Amino acid sequence: MPVSQKKNINRAISGWLIMLPTLILFAFYVWEPLLKIIQMSLYNAQGFTLTEFVGLDNYKSLLANPDFTIAWKNTFMYTFWSLIIGFCVPILLALLITETPVFRSLTRVAVYFPNILPGLAVMLIWLFFFKPGNAGVLNNILATVGIKPLTWLSAKGWTIPLIVVTMTWRSAGSTALIYMAGISGINPEQVEAATIDGAGIIRRIFSVILPSLTGLVKVMLILQIISVFQILYEPLMMTNGGPNNASISIMMLVYNYAFLHFDFPKAAAVSVMICIVLSLFTALYFVVSGRRGKE
Amino acid sequence: MKKLICLLLALTMVLGATTIVTAAEADEKIQLTLGNYPPDTDEAMIAAFDVYIENFSKKRPDVEVVPAHYFYALDTIVPMAEAGTLPVIIEPWYTEPQKLIEAGYVRSITELLKERGWDEMINPSIRDLLSKDGEIYGIPRDAYALGMHVNVDLFEQAGLVDENGVPMYPKTWDELVTVGTQIKDATGSAALCLLAQDNAGGWHWSNIAWGFGATLSVDNGDGTFTANLDSPEAIDAMEYIRDLKWEHDLLTADPLTENWGTGFTQVAVGNAAMYIGANDALNQTTVVNGLPLEDFALIPVPAGPGGQYSLNGGTVYMFAANATDEQVDAALDFMISMGRAPEVGAELIEGMGADAKSRMENGEPVVKRFPAWVGQAYSDAEAAIIAPFLNVDMALYQDYFDKVAEAGNLRLEEQGLTQEMYAELTKVMQEVLTNENADIPALMKTADTNYQKLLDDAGIGQ
Repeated sequence: MPVSQKKNINRAISGWLIMLPTLILFAFYVWEPLLKIIQMSLYNAQGFTLTEFVGLDNYKSLLANPDFTIAWKNTFMYTFWSLIIGFCVPILLALLITETPVFRSLTRVAVYFPNILPGLAVMLIWLFFFKPGNAGVLNNILATVGIKPLTWLSAKGWTIPLIVVTMTWRSAGSTALIYMAGISGINPEQVEAATIDGAGIIRRIFSVILPSLTGLVKVMLILQIISVFQILYEPLMMTNGGPNNASISIMMLVYNYAFLHFDFPKAAAVSVMICIVLSLFTALYFVVSGRRGKE
Repeated sequence: MKKLICLLLALTMVLGATTIVTAAEADEKIQLTLGNYPPDTDEAMIAAFDVYIENFSKKRPDVEVVPAHYFYALDTIVPMAEAGTLPVIIEPWYTEPQKLIEAGYVRSITELLKERGWDEMINPSIRDLLSKDGEIYGIPRDAYALGMHVNVDLFEQAGLVDENGVPMYPKTWDELVTVGTQIKDATGSAALCLLAQDNAGGWHWSNIAWGFGATLSVDNGDGTFTANLDSPEAIDAMEYIRDLKWEHDLLTADPLTENWGTGFTQVAVGNAAMYIGANDALNQTTVVNGLPLEDFALIPVPAGPGGQYSLNGGTVYMFAANATDEQVDAALDFMISMGRAPEVGAELIEGMGADAKSRMENGEPVVKRFPAWVGQAYSDAEAAIIAPFLNVDMALYQDYFDKVAEAGNLRLEEQGLTQEMYAELTKVMQEVLTNENADIPALMKTADTNYQKLLDDAGIGQ
């Protein structure tokens, strides 16, 4: 065997050895549960113990669930509103902070602060704001300008957007930090050259900074879609999916099957469907970004 | 020297052997883990449990009682049951037994109950809750019948109390509008706290619907059920709550934010005069939320054009699937020490006394419990035992107890897929309470169709 080939084999072995712990962890914590869930979705079960192979019956009976269609629709609405309300906010925050010469560290900590609060605590705080009647913080503020109390989360059309606002408030800071890191990675000479050529702040942002962030923005977009698609505890805590299912999400359906009814096979079936949809999103992302790359 | 070493070794071996024997003896003791043991913060109840354990240990020295407070929760029961770490006795709430039985997380105790003759002494409504395919999986802790928790102070402010300070409460749902309007005008507080956040909304509403003559889930007698949510009576009951909200404005600010727990708070803090609540939750309004005992009353659920009914259910004890016969037997003996068993004897009387004393010291109303076990001897014993601890004016409770004692008043929850039915009804309530122009017959029709689909899918629809 030639020396170079031997070297390659040795390098491959050491490479696999380095990866081995990660592969084991992945296999144990990700792949095995994933396969188990697919298996469970095809069986009847008592608790977690599989009892009888039923093929696609669990999937069929999901269609009989009156909440199934609306939960999917709402989940897409959460994703839609999170892109409308929440996608640009972190970019704006990152731009504002990096372009502001004073109090930069303080502002950075301030925007990140909501992220260190426990999620449930944040929801409870917002519930105080959205409380109906005269007890709610927002209604009290409105009362000072003579506006009658509103029902906030109980107003059907507003429920999802308001929940998305609370999610954005909590998580925009951490996403902004990622964008800030991206901005700091832009070659300063490029920015300086643009400034010398007479580009103002707006021109710099649109002609230099944002184009340099395109790759990062695409990654964050797909991550946000995947993350919002799995929204659970915000509607669970704030509205319990109401009013009249206006805010029930597909993950709430999984929760309801698993923990309210202990029907784990059906919970697994919904999870598999979510997994397929998210895989499709990811594949779409790769196709689109691949095409763009070729262009 | 050698001899000394030998002697020391021999001594060590003897000591070791003794220790092993002692350990083995200890190991032979039956371990009884009490999930129903109170939390560290409940000192009065812990004192009562000390008495129970002391009495029990005298009778059953072969049992080691291990306090293992477990607050039943949906996110902990599954991993604990799957891992086999549930305490022997668990205390799930009333909606859970059938799910736990179905999942195999609790065990049948039929034979052990039959040996004691207790199977015939359980209040039949609760036995149904605890049974599947002829097997019984638990015993009752308490029974309850829905009534209304009342803030007497609000009635007083509206001039609605008699010369004895007893509230002149509404006897019918129509009267509730009149009385409620008086209270609202006089105090600005809501007449009624109606729940619409979760399934408890449908649960309470079903009691209202019965008053209007509705039967929501028709039992076909062959193990199948037919949805009946869109009957004219059910629609009338839904229209009634629509009127409470939009025509009379007698509900709290937003019923969609109200759940079982907030209802007690709204009554206790004076935001609502009345709330549908049961006799097993008197401590919620008084102790937990601080309404003074003299300002609290328990009244019957108002009657409607279709009659007057009180929803009857129970809270229960169940036993972990991996508990042995010996452990369950010990647990049943422990129930006697706690005064929660049907056998009237000295130990039961002492247990009941300790329980009543603990409730009195806790500042919660000590009134008779609703019979979870049938039998006059048991009821008489309880009445006699709690008499010295009575801490309330019974006039504030008497009508409730009289009404639920009337024949035909108590009614079990609707059968079929009860929680799923409540979920469908709650959705309709949410629409009706947020949309003044909601098309109630159409909504009830949709709920009926949805519920029927669920029954069909579960193989019990017809």
